[in-house]
Amino acid sequence: MTQKKADLLQGTLDMLILKALSLGALHGYGIIQRIRQTSGEMLNVEQGSLYPALYRIEQKGWLSSEWDTNETGRRAKFYSLTRAGRRQLEEEEASWDRLVLAITKVRQAT
Amino acid sequence: MRWLRVFWTRLRALAGRESVIDDIDEELRLHVEMETEQNLARGMSPAEARRAARLSFGNFDSIRDTAYTVRGGGLMETFLQDVRYGVRVLAKNKGFTAVAVLTLALGIGANTAIFSVVNDLLLRPLPYTDAERVVMLWEVTPSGRHMNTTSRANFREWRAQGGSFESVAAFSDQRLNLTGAGEPEEVSVQLATPDLFKVLGAQPILGRVLVEDDIKRDSAGVVLSNAFWKRRFGGDPNMVGKPITLNGTPFNVVGVMPPGFQWFISQRSGTGKPPEVWMMLPMPPPGPDSPNERGRFLSVVGKLKPGVTYEQAEAELKTIHQRLAQDSTYNKNYTAEVIPLREQLVGNVRPALWVLLGAVGLVLLIACANVANLLLSRVAAREKEIALRTALGARRMRVVRQLLTESLLLSLLGSALGSLVAWWGIGALVAISPRDLVNLQNVGINTTVLAWTLGVTLLTTILFGLVPAFEATRLNLNDALKEGGKGSDAQGSRSRRLRGVLVVGEVALALMLLAGAGLLVKSFSQLRKIDTGFETENVLTMVLRLPASKYKEDPQYVAFFRQALERIRATPGVRSAGVVNYLPLYGGLGSATGFNVEGRPEPPRGTGPSTNVRVADADYFKTMGIRLLRGRLFTDAEDAEARHVTVVSEAFARRFFPDEDPIGKRIKVFMDDKPSWMEIVGIVGDVRYDNLTAEAEPFVYEPHPELVYDAMTLVIRTAGDPAEMAPTVRREISEIDPEQPVSDIRTMTQVMGERVARARFNTLLLAIFAGLATVLAAVGIFGVMNYSVQLRTREIGLRMALGAQPHRVLMLVLRQGLLLTLIGIGVGLAGALALSRVMSGLLYGVGASDPLTFAAIVVLLAFVALIACYIPARRATRVDPLVALKYE
Repeated sequence: MTQKKADLLQGTLDMLILKALSLGALHGYGIIQRIRQTSGEMLNVEQGSLYPALYRIEQKGWLSSEWDTNETGRRAKFYSLTRAGRRQLEEEEASWDRLVLAITKVRQAT
Repeated sequence: MRWLRVFWTRLRALAGRESVIDDIDEELRLHVEMETEQNLARGMSPAEARRAARLSFGNFDSIRDTAYTVRGGGLMETFLQDVRYGVRVLAKNKGFTAVAVLTLALGIGANTAIFSVVNDLLLRPLPYTDAERVVMLWEVTPSGRHMNTTSRANFREWRAQGGSFESVAAFSDQRLNLTGAGEPEEVSVQLATPDLFKVLGAQPILGRVLVEDDIKRDSAGVVLSNAFWKRRFGGDPNMVGKPITLNGTPFNVVGVMPPGFQWFISQRSGTGKPPEVWMMLPMPPPGPDSPNERGRFLSVVGKLKPGVTYEQAEAELKTIHQRLAQDSTYNKNYTAEVIPLREQLVGNVRPALWVLLGAVGLVLLIACANVANLLLSRVAAREKEIALRTALGARRMRVVRQLLTESLLLSLLGSALGSLVAWWGIGALVAISPRDLVNLQNVGINTTVLAWTLGVTLLTTILFGLVPAFEATRLNLNDALKEGGKGSDAQGSRSRRLRGVLVVGEVALALMLLAGAGLLVKSFSQLRKIDTGFETENVLTMVLRLPASKYKEDPQYVAFFRQALERIRATPGVRSAGVVNYLPLYGGLGSATGFNVEGRPEPPRGTGPSTNVRVADADYFKTMGIRLLRGRLFTDAEDAEARHVTVVSEAFARRFFPDEDPIGKRIKVFMDDKPSWMEIVGIVGDVRYDNLTAEAEPFVYEPHPELVYDAMTLVIRTAGDPAEMAPTVRREISEIDPEQPVSDIRTMTQVMGERVARARFNTLLLAIFAGLATVLAAVGIFGVMNYSVQLRTREIGLRMALGAQPHRVLMLVLRQGLLLTLIGIGVGLAGALALSRVMSGLLYGVGASDPLTFAAIVVLLAFVALIACYIPARRATRVDPLVALKYE
């Protein structure tokens, strides 16, 4: 059971990362910040799960990365969406919407 | 493309574990720094800010490791770890490693060598444009002789009517004397219609190929082969336009062919040597004055139109030939056939090659079984190590992977060494290959062969590595970790059973190989026992080709040969000397000549019976030991005056005079335009002129001066070693005419040897492989029995302590080994009986399931196995009970 829960969370994290990057390239720290801001401080992604997820998504070909300097002139690794990543995001959003809709329907029925 | 990216990042990870880790470290460190800055901005003190950032980040090392694994570093790193560990293990057990690698090297090397030949002859594309559309066109004679040459008249019809063909060309090989600058020598010349070059899609590197007009010019054009151009003319770049003299006639070089170009169809070639010069085949318009219209001496090659199948082409050719047979009785009962080029070139060696490839496959299997056996024994020895690793939490697949990595290392080492074996082996193969496998000169290790070897190596690894690897991980931990649990539990007995199965397999495979080799050896000895109709020992032969330019008149030829023979006969050490136009076993020209019998209704010319014709003198028969059955041979007077007498062979008499006595009858053989009646004065024994294994063909012998040939073969029977007489005879010839070349100096034994060279080649190779297989199997049996004795040391010691006699112990061990051998022999016999039928085409005079051969190899194998078992058994009897029991 825990396995399934982890899968779900993992899938959600992937979507959140892709979403955060859909507005432009970011480094790891920036991704966490953006998710926190856009969720109204409600979602806090742990660093410990962010980086393995990033590497995994990158290997799937949804992200590309390159070293660059950030706004304060510090070196950082920037991630950006690939075309496949953009498609993946659309798919995940659509399926998330369906899930939410379904759950809402079930809840309203009771 | 995703897999490519994954592969790439993993490859990068493999290339430098450090750089990946650095990359991750850097990224994570910067992350912490950014967090720290943020905390500073929130007003924390620097120390506090750093601490908070660290804290919120979590366990740095564990995150880094997880991240590293995700990036694929883990898998490759384990592999490298396994490799390093494997190298250490193999280096530590040098004896084991050496035996295993050597075994694999022999298996893989033999495999690679044979495959390179198979690849070269059977798989590699032929070096002609659209070679798959190139076919040979032959006649089939009424007596069912295939690949028969055709005539100018028929070739014309094929060319005119054959709608399946883009183009067809006729050719015929000859040998001519080259004179001029340098030593006089005999060269192999191919007379061809110019379409030959079109059919083969061949372009010259210098000048041009032959064209129709070449024959009309004052000095006709010739094209040189690359090898000849380099050898004789030093690769002269200005060769085109230069004259060369062949048989006293001047020719003009018009072109030189590229290095790779060769066109030689050994069947029905009169020269036995690839052409060095191409010249026009005269095709005068047919008329009453063209005597050669109907002589069958042409080989024909054609190129199919795209999309036409071989069957369609053959059907069409047969239809054309049927019409020809109706139009003229000269073609009565003849049919035609179309043979794809590859089939023509290698069709006769194909079965032998597949058998050899199968044989090396079996050798490799035995090698694998041997190494698997070794590994199994070692698995038993490593039980504790593996059990410990498993107990410490290594997953099963992890251990299997590690053991497989070791196997892979072994087989890679084996294939590296095997490539050396193959390289050497290919050289040896080419050296002992029969002369008529001309293409074999190009055999070598190339990418296809290397790919094959690599594939074989990987397959080998799986074959010999998988079983021991899984076997190892099935251990019962408790038993294995306990001291002294060795071989006494269920695990040990299963592993022993597995090794037993491997030994049975090895013996069975070795027996199959031995059976094949045994059949070939017997077949070969039968081949040597064939009555050829002549005596091979102490006969020297050589060819004298007198140039027509110098010996313009027939009497000049006759005088030359008479003088030469007189001188040779007078030489000490010479018993007798004679001449003939073509030696026995020369290789068939396949040309038959029509004849009439006096008093029988005379069919229109060319429609009557036909016979082979040889021109010889009386001493030819004496020298060769050809038996005179009835009547007499030619006399010297007849030699001199050409008194129109003839001697016929037994087969001739039997076939054409079944109920009459041929002696005294007169026949007319159409060897030239004005044949005269010749009286049959004698019958001689049949001689195998063409095919050793086919039935004897009818022959008519005409006395030497009756028909003058510009090339004759001298046969000389000597008192001592014939080869030693060669220089003397040569000197005698050059004393008559210093410009006269002598060629093809061979003893009759050599001629015979070349004739059976292919059979010898197959036999030798298969015998080597079978020997290899037997040795490997013996090593396998020895290994298993030796190990078994080792495991049973305690038991044996106990038995002996309780009073068992040494011979009882000996029998105990022997029985175990021989039981395995016997089962193996049983299985092998079944397999051999099933497989040997494949070989029946290679056998002569011996059945594919010859009981004597099978019995002999069973005895041989059983004997070898007995020795392999005996040594460990002897060791068992020397077990000191005290030591064995103390060991506990």
